[in-house]
Amino acid sequence: MTAEGPILPAKCLRCQSTLTSPIVCDGCRALFSPPPGTDYFALLGLPRTYAIDEKKLNAAFRGLARAVHPDRFTGESQEAQSLANRLSAEVNQAFHVLSDPVRRADYLLELAGGPSAAEMREVPDGFLADVMVLREEIDQAKSADDGDAIERHRESIAARRQDNMEQIADLAETSADLGAPERNLMRRLLNSMKYFDNLLQELAADPLAVQWSEPRPSGRADVRAG
Amino acid sequence: MSDDRNIIIGIDLGTTNSLVAFADEAGPRLIAGPGGEDDVLLPSVVAFDDAGRFQRIGGEARAHAVEQPTTTIHSIKRLMGKGVADLADDLLRLPFRVDRRKGGDGRDVAAVVVGEKSFTPPEISAIILRELKARAERHFGCSVVKAVITVPAQFDDAQRQATRDAGQIAGLDVVRIINEPTAAALAYGLDRTEHATIAVYDFGGGTFDISILRLEEGVFEVLSTNGDTHLGGDDFDHALIDLFTREIREQFGLDITTPTIKQQLRTLSESIKVRLSNRDSAPVEIAIGDDRVYRRSITRAEFEAMIAPFVDRTIEACSRAMKTAGLTPPDIQQVVLVGGSTRVPYVRRKVAEVFQRQPYTALNPEQVVALGAGVQASLLAGVQRDILLLDVTPLSLGIETLGGAMGKLIPASTRVPCRATESFTTFKDGQANVKINVLQGERELAKDCRSLGVFELQGVPPMPAGIPKIDVTFLIDANGILNVSAVERRSGQSAAVQIIPAHGLTRDEVRRMQAEALVHAREDMAAHHLIDVRTTLEFDLHKARQMIERYGHLLNPEDRDALASEIHDLLEYAKQCTDAHALNARREAFNRRTIPLAERAMSEALQEPQGTRV
Repeated sequence: MTAEGPILPAKCLRCQSTLTSPIVCDGCRALFSPPPGTDYFALLGLPRTYAIDEKKLNAAFRGLARAVHPDRFTGESQEAQSLANRLSAEVNQAFHVLSDPVRRADYLLELAGGPSAAEMREVPDGFLADVMVLREEIDQAKSADDGDAIERHRESIAARRQDNMEQIADLAETSADLGAPERNLMRRLLNSMKYFDNLLQELAADPLAVQWSEPRPSGRADVRAG
Repeated sequence: MSDDRNIIIGIDLGTTNSLVAFADEAGPRLIAGPGGEDDVLLPSVVAFDDAGRFQRIGGEARAHAVEQPTTTIHSIKRLMGKGVADLADDLLRLPFRVDRRKGGDGRDVAAVVVGEKSFTPPEISAIILRELKARAERHFGCSVVKAVITVPAQFDDAQRQATRDAGQIAGLDVVRIINEPTAAALAYGLDRTEHATIAVYDFGGGTFDISILRLEEGVFEVLSTNGDTHLGGDDFDHALIDLFTREIREQFGLDITTPTIKQQLRTLSESIKVRLSNRDSAPVEIAIGDDRVYRRSITRAEFEAMIAPFVDRTIEACSRAMKTAGLTPPDIQQVVLVGGSTRVPYVRRKVAEVFQRQPYTALNPEQVVALGAGVQASLLAGVQRDILLLDVTPLSLGIETLGGAMGKLIPASTRVPCRATESFTTFKDGQANVKINVLQGERELAKDCRSLGVFELQGVPPMPAGIPKIDVTFLIDANGILNVSAVERRSGQSAAVQIIPAHGLTRDEVRRMQAEALVHAREDMAAHHLIDVRTTLEFDLHKARQMIERYGHLLNPEDRDALASEIHDLLEYAKQCTDAHALNARREAFNRRTIPLAERAMSEALQEPQGTRV
């Protein structure tokens, strides 16, 4: 029941229904290993673009997760169950990557030929020096318990992160057409994201120390130190 | 018995109690034991005789725990998938003996020792599972082989494997292992169209779990999970026991060491805990011999101060779970309580505080997991198809890297099934095997994480060092259990993966135990049968003797003497006979011989009221 080959067969090999997914037949529920080279976008039936319709992504994921989940194949052969486990892992991984903007951009860069984070560890010029200065200022504000200064830092770092993300998004939109220098730039920008995240985390109070004593407005709490 | 009906049962294999359930179109229901409709909780207690032969299970076994503390096994769930080295604290408290299992090629597998015999935790659990299986078979009137079994969400791979092994030993095909809090959420059977975020606070006898789930369009999606596999109502008991032990030592200079008194204290502590759930104080009286009595009373405030450190740990875990899910209390629409320890008012108060919401307790917290297991079983059996459960892995999976660090491959709270692939190579020319130490845990160093075992890749083609590229795929399946496969990239050949579980049983051991359990079950049944026949025979002989005494004069003396000596011989024979069939045959033959006497005795008896006796 495995359909190997570079091209998605138009029809299910088992029941001749027209296939809409590379891994499952809507008609007879048969599962297939995806053809080599099937990327996460193709797996979920979405166009390979950075801009993504979150609702469509969620719906595609739920539909596919339902269709290939091992729970649906309990009574079937060991092979069918093991294939269901493998395909579910693939679908979960695809959703994990595509549902997050940074991971999605990173994945598009990988599809465009890299470099990967392991191949190129640099960040944009001068960035590390900036981070070191920032970290010192944050430490000072923290030890002085200066709530205003901490909040100013938090806002400015969040703004820089946003700016960085927008640059990445612009590049990611046209990732397939990027030359090597632009791909290297995209790599550097992506590498710098985790520094922003670490800084922001340092600025957030430890949630365990926060007492949820009074009701808060819904949505993500804006946890502040001091 | 036929098993053509595709029945799948749901089992809650608990630290304190176990239950079995199923679901049909009408919803989930519990299957009761021989005691009638309300007999749904099977205490997870198994009693052996001094020789290590199975004796009793459930409530009966628990009732005799004080008389035979060293051969009554409880809380076996705490030992599942563990080595003796993991259990130091537990072992001091348990009245029965636990030792490292013998003959295990360097593996540290704990085993309960009873007399000359020793039992691994899966074997003890299998006895409980067999009883639940039998209850289900009586209910359905046919054989039942498929089951869903629940485990605490925080159970690691070894503990899950041990649970699955227990099922196999009991003759069950464990079609799915599911997490207890997830099962509880399923039991509440929220409407398919409902959208909600639910926190499940599951505080049982030995484990604590908190899971946060989102329900949308019939998909139950676990967002995060947190907890502690070594935190539960047992700890409340131990706090009380420690207090009594200390005070008795101080007041009377007496050290409590005997297993019987330890077991008595345990029973007492359990009832104090229950008493304080609806009263403000509980009196305590312990006779310690020589007419000395230890007396005091425990107030609810004292008890709450004692258990606060344990409850605080659960509350911290709740905060962590919310953080992982990126949520704050107002985002959560419902808080569900599971497990016997949530009956403690202090626990309820603390939960209400952390989630800023009164918890929802429509279902019995001790039954809700089993009901949920029944729902999941019906989903798998295809009774209903519109609900889907997407769960996560509770612990990070990684491998030991050079220098003893934990190299993380799959982070905690990743949706399962999930997989990670990692390449390995050789260090020496021509090296044929590569060993990988697979870890689970959140710590940075390998030695602080739990080793699931050493996976050995075999049959690597002979090549210079560093040339082979072996892609190893770690797949965590829907049960949360790890599957490892390996392919050598150059040759495209799949390498064999030999697994040496650090704290578990090998496949062969499980198969052997399953076979042995079957034989034992037959032996037990035979032994049971023999006892029945012997009892009946003794009863028959007793009646015959009475008859001879009273109506023997109706027989001629030779016949009477022959019958009397036959009774004597049969009694002797019954003492040493081990064949129930043969014994029963002799019993029936004897009864046939007494028929003439019985008839004469009967007619004589009818005339008796008129009263002439020779």
